[in-house]
Amino acid sequence: MALKHRPAAWPWYLLLAAILIGLTAGLWVATQRVHYEWRWERVPQYFAYRAEVPQESPVAGRVSAIQADGALSRVVVTPADGGAPVVLPVETVQVAIGDAIDREDSVGDHYEWRIGPLTQGLWVTIWISFVSGLVGLLIGLITGLCRISDNPTLRGLAILYIELIRGTPLLVQIFIFYFFIGTVLNLDRIVAGIGALALFVGAYIAEIIRAGIQSIPKGQTEAARSLGMSAFQNMAYIVLPQAFKRVLPPLAGQFISLIKDSSLVSVIAITDLTKSGREIITASFATFEIWFTVALLYLVVTSLLSQLLFWLERRFARSD
Amino acid sequence: MTPFLELIDLDVAYPPRKVIRDLTLRMSHAGIGCLLGPSGCGKTTLLRAIAGFEPLRRGSIRLEGVELSRPEWTLPPEQRRIGLMFQDLALFPHLSVVDNIAFGLHDWKAAERRARVTELLKLVGLEEYAGRYPHQLSGGQQQRVALARALAPRPRLLLLDEPFSNLDVTLREGLAREVRTVLLREGTSGLLVSHDQFEAFAFADEIGVLHQGRLLQWDSAYNLYHRPADRFVADFIGQGVLLPGRLGGEGRVSTELGEIGGRSADGGCVAGERVEVLVRPDDVVHDDDSPLRAEVVERAFRGAEFLYTLKLPSGARLLCLAPSHHDHALGQRIGIRLDIDHLVMFRRGSGADG
Repeated sequence: MALKHRPAAWPWYLLLAAILIGLTAGLWVATQRVHYEWRWERVPQYFAYRAEVPQESPVAGRVSAIQADGALSRVVVTPADGGAPVVLPVETVQVAIGDAIDREDSVGDHYEWRIGPLTQGLWVTIWISFVSGLVGLLIGLITGLCRISDNPTLRGLAILYIELIRGTPLLVQIFIFYFFIGTVLNLDRIVAGIGALALFVGAYIAEIIRAGIQSIPKGQTEAARSLGMSAFQNMAYIVLPQAFKRVLPPLAGQFISLIKDSSLVSVIAITDLTKSGREIITASFATFEIWFTVALLYLVVTSLLSQLLFWLERRFARSD
Repeated sequence: MTPFLELIDLDVAYPPRKVIRDLTLRMSHAGIGCLLGPSGCGKTTLLRAIAGFEPLRRGSIRLEGVELSRPEWTLPPEQRRIGLMFQDLALFPHLSVVDNIAFGLHDWKAAERRARVTELLKLVGLEEYAGRYPHQLSGGQQQRVALARALAPRPRLLLLDEPFSNLDVTLREGLAREVRTVLLREGTSGLLVSHDQFEAFAFADEIGVLHQGRLLQWDSAYNLYHRPADRFVADFIGQGVLLPGRLGGEGRVSTELGEIGGRSADGGCVAGERVEVLVRPDDVVHDDDSPLRAEVVERAFRGAEFLYTLKLPSGARLLCLAPSHHDHALGQRIGIRLDIDHLVMFRRGSGADG
């Protein structure tokens, strides 16, 4: 039999590059046509910026000296009541020697690094996703176990919950959770947001866990039982450890979805990454740049998570 | 003395089908037994019922005089002290060899547990593989781990569900014998389920033949072969044909091949009745001097011997085992004579369910 001829791959890579360049050019042409002016230089300040902080004098008195020290200046204030002189470091000086100063008068400004709204929003997105993912995992585990239980009540409740959540849009669930449950129980908007996300992801995780548990052969359970383990011990030591390994890939997908779905909590005025983006746009008018940046930030977070889970999966796979 | 294992009037069902019917079995002494039957005869179900995984419809299961199962009540498997070794072994893939074996010893003291695991590793010859995971072992090594794991908590009875069937035929009998030796050394009773009679012969002291959910005979291998109580047993164990004849006086049967006598199991037949006599291939001796002639219609070379299928003038068939230097061609007529020691007969047309 003749060896199968393998055509060279480079023409296809060339085609790929051509398509990507074409797409970029198309994007550029499109923005030219709407006369959009790119202002990428406005974006970095929303990650972190240097804030002016006025330096106030703690005492009333007179400016007795201003000493230059590199970029800094030292304003020396001699108190009117004859105490020891106070030295105030500033970057821009707003007083002259001999000026009379009252208490809490500003003598100048110095600058401090501050975290911008994009970074803050990103952080809110990350921790809301993390907490709701963790709670969702717990809900999903319990619901998944109830779903395969022999007890009709537990099973019925689990099925009802899963069907309710999977059959309705997350946006509607968030509104119901915030406006109805949140009002009845007097919940904070953050708690309501996390609660809605956790309940949402819990229903999907329950199904993943159920499938994982059912994928473990019955012989494993029977072996454990005949070796003296109770049904509960068997679940804890034999079935769940094996099932966990199998459900890791679908769980990873679910957590990545959760990070993206968390953008919906911006509708109940939680300042996550998406809401921060919207607020920045109203101030900066850099609409395209900010949305692209927001998308990129989501992409970075989800990629990091998927890498982490991929690594975990490979570690666990060693005993297969 | 209380019998070791008693299964009394068992019915087990996967509704609407009854898998086990009116089954009664008594293993009077601790020992090694086997349930033998074709696939679908209910033997695995029976084993699962003994282990506590199948509820009973009717009847009772007792071990050492204590009831384990009755309808509406089943002692949980983990409280039975009955070990299980499966066809697919069901080793725990996420645990090492040591942890697999130690799994059933979770409530033992650490030092005793270590000693027991070491003892078992030595018993099955796997000391060097203690830290490996199941997927790093060969099929035979996995079998040994499964055996050690099942034996570790010193079960009163070890149930084996065709544990050798995934192995090479040549390995099978050897391993069956090896497991038997281990069981004897540990002093553990065993009950094997198998569809392979040679595996059963190699493993068990007593064998029960199961067919369509019923236990047909519980006996030694020798008796199953030479004194089958039932047409199905006669057919299932070993080879042979049923030759028609008529029962005369003194337990002698007149057939196409003349009168046949021997140590007789008359199967409830009375003189003058039309019967069928079980003729095993080793009952038919090739003898050139014999006036009885039969035509060779099939031949199978088996190394030391030939298994000939012979056609009698009446059209009836016989099997004949002849030393392999008696090489006869198809169509040849050869001389035979019968040398039957155990005469087994069944009433003609009876027990047609076989």
